[in-house]
Amino acid sequence: MEDKDMIICRCEEVTLGEILQAIKDGARDVTGVKRRTRAGMGSCQGSSCERLVEGILRRELKKTQADLKPDPARPPVMPITFGVLGGDQD
Amino acid sequence: MIADKQPGFDTQLAYRSQQLFKEIVNDIDYNIEYTQKGSIYLIESEQEWEVAENYVKQQVADGFPMRMMDRKEIHDDEPHIADDIIGGVEIECDAACDPMAMAYGLALAAQKNGAEILTFHAVKDIKLDEKGAVKSVVTDQGEILTKAVVNCAGVWAPHVGKMVGIDIPILPRQGQILVAESTIPVGKRKIVEFGYMMAKFGSSDYKRNVSPEIEKYGIAMVFEPTSHNNFLIGSSRAMVGYDTRVSIEIMRGLAERAIRFFPIMKNINVIRAYAGLRPYCPDHFPIVSPVEEVPGFYIAAGHEGDGIGLGPVTGKLISQMITGEETELPVERMSFARFKKN
Ligand SMILES: Cc1cc2nc3c(=O)[nH]c(=O)nc-3n(C[C@H](O)[C@H](O)[C@H](O)COP(=O)(O)OP(=O)(O)OC[C@H]3O[C@@H](n4cnc5c(N)ncnc54)[C@H](O)[C@@H]3O)c2cc1C
Ligand code: FES
Repeated sequence: MEDKDMIICRCEEVTLGEILQAIKDGARDVTGVKRRTRAGMGSCQGSSCERLVEGILRRELKKTQADLKPDPARPPVMPITFGVLGGDQD
Repeated sequence: MIADKQPGFDTQLAYRSQQLFKEIVNDIDYNIEYTQKGSIYLIESEQEWEVAENYVKQQVADGFPMRMMDRKEIHDDEPHIADDIIGGVEIECDAACDPMAMAYGLALAAQKNGAEILTFHAVKDIKLDEKGAVKSVVTDQGEILTKAVVNCAGVWAPHVGKMVGIDIPILPRQGQILVAESTIPVGKRKIVEFGYMMAKFGSSDYKRNVSPEIEKYGIAMVFEPTSHNNFLIGSSRAMVGYDTRVSIEIMRGLAERAIRFFPIMKNINVIRAYAGLRPYCPDHFPIVSPVEEVPGFYIAAGHEGDGIGLGPVTGKLISQMITGEETELPVERMSFARFKKN
């Protein structure tokens, strides 16, 4: 048996069990899992966990990568401070 | 929140919804991250203070829990706000929740009570009988026979309206948000610049001391702490059709305004920016109403920036309309028919 307590999203501490439950509740893509569990909402914005979540979705829903809608990319590419963005760098 | 509502019916509606939120939190078996910590307006100038004082007087006379905070009190209570803020307004009853959890929680609770929910079914057409009343809803995955249908399609409500031949005057009003990393608590509750009310209602007898960009994009600082130790910064208002891309000008403006009120944010990271569309109605009231010319067709849309807060009361009123009960609040101001009169 897989360990349901295994952490999949480190930033937000979301477990495998929580992701499986989200899929049971109707999540059909990375965005659906994210909205239900916060997996991918952390400071790395999914760069560590998105692939893993995708893999779990593919396996549970018996889908290929191409069938899964990707989560839309949003800026900034890297974290940036309010100061730099707002033009106040002192 | 009732903080950004105009005195009278607008506030009454939001206040009723706040009470319903508490019932929902008790009734459903899902954590919607509900907290009731109140909200605060920040006042920048003597002129704002005067407008705010009148506003609070009126709201207090109507029985709503609001009060002025003087300079010392507000700085003691929220130590990270900019030194030159001269005071504020506290609205004790305002609350917050995770809107996505709210939607999932309500849907799961409805299912438990026997509702059947069809996700990923696109509505393509609505058929009427020979008398012009609702007969069925046609989706991309089959037809559903029904005598009543509620058009709650938000900014897409006009498209669904077309299916029964009516014009619904709702437009998308874009808003962008910056998401901060999780960090030290910058503020305890929702904190909004008083100028937000002016941006929301487009009041012209008052001008903030801001750059033309801030004015042009309707930018006003809204700080919203989340239950996950980070916070969101809004808000902007622009009519750009159905475009949900973020723009660097607005991101800059939001950050500029955020550090004006919270200098400490200079060194805090933005991890994400996103945009959404508010369903805007020209008179700032939603449409929560039957449609006389199409029996069985109801509209619950057009809540602009208040659709989460007003969700519970909207559901309550619509259900009362459909079952033929008397609505618990007067619904005249939200009728679809109001657009035909003038
Ligand atoms: C930046 C921003 C900040 C905001 N902040 C707040 C806030 O702090 N508090 C607050 O209360 N509100 C806030 N709002 C407003 C709030 O998000 C909206 O008022 C609310 O989401 C509207 O809800 P709705 O159910 O009417 O529409 P939506 O949530 O848009 O739902 C409409 C649904 O209809 C579906 N649909 C459309 N056409 C069809 C079709 N043909 N077939 C099937 N389905 C269809 C869509 O897929 C969608 O799921 C904010 C909005 C923005 C953009
Ligand atoms: S590991 Fe999931 S957001 Fe960083």
